[in-house]
Amino acid sequence: MSTGLLSGDARVEAAPRFPRKRKGISGRSIAILVFLSICAAFFCVPLYVIVTTSFKTMEQIREGAIFSLPSPITFEAWVNAWDHACSGIRCEGLKVGFWNSVAILFPSLMLSLTLSSITGYALALWKVRWAGTFLFILFICAFVPFQIIMIPLIILSSGLKVYGTIWGIAIIHAVLSMPFLTLVFRNYYKGIPQEIMSAAMMDSGSFWRVFGEIIVPMSGNIFIVVLILQVTSIWNDFLLGLTFGGLGTQPMSVVLANVVITTTGEAAYNENMAAALLTAIPPLVIYFILGKFFVQGITAGAIKG
Amino acid sequence: MAFRWSRMSPQLALTPAVAITVVAFIGSILWTIYVSFTSSKAFATYGIDFTDWARQYERLFKDKGWTIALKNMLVLGIGSFLAIVFGFILAALIDREKRGEGFFRTVFLYPLAVSLIVTGVAWRWMFNPSFGLQGALHSIGLTFISFDWLSKPETAMYGIILASVWQGAGFYMALMLSGLKSINTEIWSAARLDGVSFWRLYAEIIIPMMKFTFLTCAILLSLGVVKAYDIVVAMTNGGPGQATWVPGYFTINAYWVKSNLAYASAAAALMLGITALIFLPLVLLTAWRERARTS
Repeated sequence: MSTGLLSGDARVEAAPRFPRKRKGISGRSIAILVFLSICAAFFCVPLYVIVTTSFKTMEQIREGAIFSLPSPITFEAWVNAWDHACSGIRCEGLKVGFWNSVAILFPSLMLSLTLSSITGYALALWKVRWAGTFLFILFICAFVPFQIIMIPLIILSSGLKVYGTIWGIAIIHAVLSMPFLTLVFRNYYKGIPQEIMSAAMMDSGSFWRVFGEIIVPMSGNIFIVVLILQVTSIWNDFLLGLTFGGLGTQPMSVVLANVVITTTGEAAYNENMAAALLTAIPPLVIYFILGKFFVQGITAGAIKG
Repeated sequence: MAFRWSRMSPQLALTPAVAITVVAFIGSILWTIYVSFTSSKAFATYGIDFTDWARQYERLFKDKGWTIALKNMLVLGIGSFLAIVFGFILAALIDREKRGEGFFRTVFLYPLAVSLIVTGVAWRWMFNPSFGLQGALHSIGLTFISFDWLSKPETAMYGIILASVWQGAGFYMALMLSGLKSINTEIWSAARLDGVSFWRLYAEIIIPMMKFTFLTCAILLSLGVVKAYDIVVAMTNGGPGQATWVPGYFTINAYWVKSNLAYASAAAALMLGITALIFLPLVLLTAWRERARTS
């Protein structure tokens, strides 16, 4: 469209067209926007409900008006959820789970990014025997349901004495995400022009030096995309944390589930909602700040996979 | 010597990944399938009784819980298809009406950043029979609407479907939107010039052009349905009774609650089989696309 403006004869046409676009909204546009806004409201209802509930007192919740605004506003539920909420018999709140999740996140990120980027690089840019077969196997492994490998992995990690530890969960995350992330890296590195690789080979020709000096500086974008993908998926994971987490090493989502499911007596709904929000805040913050990379991450694998 | 080292480097760099694939994936899958033919209970035993090798599978198909789980998986799969339809409608409208694209995209996608446990906990609260949405609806006179789906066995699955659609629709919208954007813009202007109606344009031109995207979405959705676990735990924990059991839940339950290793392995092997059935079209699809791209 913009190229038309550059050519001489289009300029005449361009002048009357400009105000036409501003003339107002057509009926169809209004209908579409109204419909989309209703859908947007549907998507926002749960968020509105958890936020308002988390600031209410239990007396107000018992009145049953779920959409009412909190009055008086109280932060008690948030403090309780963080500090005293009971998961099973332990009443130490979500803070334990939060710090466990943080402790799982960092080693796991380091491991999975290093492992998958190097594997992807070797498969994309070097001549390796059986590379095609290996890629195909990785592609299949990326979709295998966790249950089919769960039991042997439990036995293996118990044998290696990492079962139930933070490190155990971190390593399992890195292992299980390896096939998919390798494919993402491999697809990205496949797009690097052959000339750059040839020049790099002439220059040093060493596998590790080409990777460290040329490839890594070129892959800032993909590292951010994968990083965000991994941060959200590790943070939001439940099944791995449940399976490999020990009594004091469970990640936040597992603690949250325990707090909500294993309640005795009347559930403290405001506390549950505050707990859910506390768990959801880190990935939501990432999403609202780095949304573009987040979308790239979740669609990358799906489309190119 | 240095030269040979550098020739070996790529192979060396691949060793960890190959080791992981062989041990954690291929080896583990074979192990689980093997164990499903044994009669292991809490610990793995490796003897197979060849006169009765399929006993776990026979038991499985007689188990009411497994039948319920398979049926629920189908219900969830059919119901979750709404997410694709909904995602496509949203994407088409956003793509047509460019105003507010950024805003709507952000709103429709945010549930995806939230974990399924949080999603489940939030919806569980809204489905609360006394203080949830039902109470709010009844208090304004809409007493004919019941919104306590999770507490009744017949409707509990629909509650889970609603929450999954809420969580997943944005993802399919994002996939559809990138599919729509890759359609040549000239088609839109050509259709307008020819006076093709709105509905015909979508039904006869756009949707057939996006068949790859639709197929990808359908396969990803089905794979997700087979794996469904978190959302069930957070919303109903399998209940009421066994009404919301799904294969993933059944398998975990067989291992952790019943501590029956062989039985859990058999269920897991069947999950793998179902995944393979869905996965086969994906492999064919990739090959097909690859051929379409090169020709």
